[in-house]
Amino acid sequence: MVDDATATYILENQRCFEDLKQVASQLAGLLVLAAAGSKEALPDHPALCAARELFREAGDALRSARPTERAGRHHAHLARAAALIAVALKESEGVLNVDRILIPLRAGYSELEQAADALPGFEKVSFSRACCGGAHA
Amino acid sequence: MNTAYSLWVMEYAAVPNYPQSGLIYGMHNQGTRKLPYCYVVIKGQGQIAMVDVGYNHKAHGEVLANTYGVRGWHSPREVLGEIGIQPEDISNIFITHSHFDHMGNIEDFPKATFYLQERELSKWVWTMSLHRKFRWLMLGIDPADIMRAVDLARQHRLVCVDGDREDVLPGIDLHAAFDTHTWGSMYVTVRNDLAPNSQSSWVFCGDLAYGYENLRGHDPADPEYIPIGLATGSQFNVIMTADEMVESVGGDVHRVIPPHEERLKDLYPSRITTAGLRITELALADGEKSQVK
Repeated sequence: MVDDATATYILENQRCFEDLKQVASQLAGLLVLAAAGSKEALPDHPALCAARELFREAGDALRSARPTERAGRHHAHLARAAALIAVALKESEGVLNVDRILIPLRAGYSELEQAADALPGFEKVSFSRACCGGAHA
Repeated sequence: MNTAYSLWVMEYAAVPNYPQSGLIYGMHNQGTRKLPYCYVVIKGQGQIAMVDVGYNHKAHGEVLANTYGVRGWHSPREVLGEIGIQPEDISNIFITHSHFDHMGNIEDFPKATFYLQERELSKWVWTMSLHRKFRWLMLGIDPADIMRAVDLARQHRLVCVDGDREDVLPGIDLHAAFDTHTWGSMYVTVRNDLAPNSQSSWVFCGDLAYGYENLRGHDPADPEYIPIGLATGSQFNVIMTADEMVESVGGDVHRVIPPHEERLKDLYPSRITTAGLRITELALADGEKSQVK
């Protein structure tokens, strides 16, 4: 159970969490293509442009968040995730160097996973819409 | 006729009560069935391969158990140990599609090379560049799996397949099924006599069919194809792929193996392990000992 103020924090910050997760996914997806030698893995790939735009929106939301004491740990993880993903995005300017991007990206995603574990309401994977996980117990 | 490969379907978890409507198109309000989660082991010709690897329990086990009713998960070490195999023994893994319950557990197979359709990856990335109002298209994808795939690629253990590929191992073919269940699904054919025009083929279809209703309808005497409960691509493509798979095994629908089909136990020898998981034995290579007797 969470108090009302924390519930409000959860509702207000689900989108920011989802957006950061999406940015991490977009970057990781490009890295897979790059590491696998795909000719589509270019610095002007639409996924990278989308990631930068989404990250700006997530950053704005994060700055306006008002964490309660109960949500403090969650917010700290979210803030650290954003900082690390920012580093990964910076590294993705110009040539896609998989190693230089992957290290901060992986650390950033790990912070997101810890954020998801810190409070209810933040899903690492949307199983509710997945084919073989959508049956509620 | 020689038999090249032993084939086992290994249950690693299950949902005891899964809505039929999620599996067979149009079966609304018709109750539930058991949905086993399985992967396939292919052993022979000096290699051990698998079709899919299951989900990452460390990351998602609690949520899947508490919220979605998934029960009885056991690790590949425990599951494969039942037939005398260790995860380190696996040399090749064919990922039918990138959903969490098929490719989530790649880190448990440290020596395997993974095969996945390039389109499955590139369309993922394309989908991720869309506005969030299209996020349904990302269903079932775990971002952590994408990062694990980066590691595989860096270790040169990820082979991106572009379309069909014959004899990826002797007698084993990969078939693309684009824009069906997912963007870049594929199914795996084992020609178990190694002949080009095999009389002993098996198809491992991933989620291109969940159950035999998808492949023969509700009336075996008057068969029809019924789409699966969920497709990111088109149901037309799902149906045409179903026909392709069934025709490729000479029309013997039971040689198409849906890993989520509980009724495999009614068709092939099987046993339940002490962990309560089923092992179904489809074929035994020459000289191989049964693991279910």
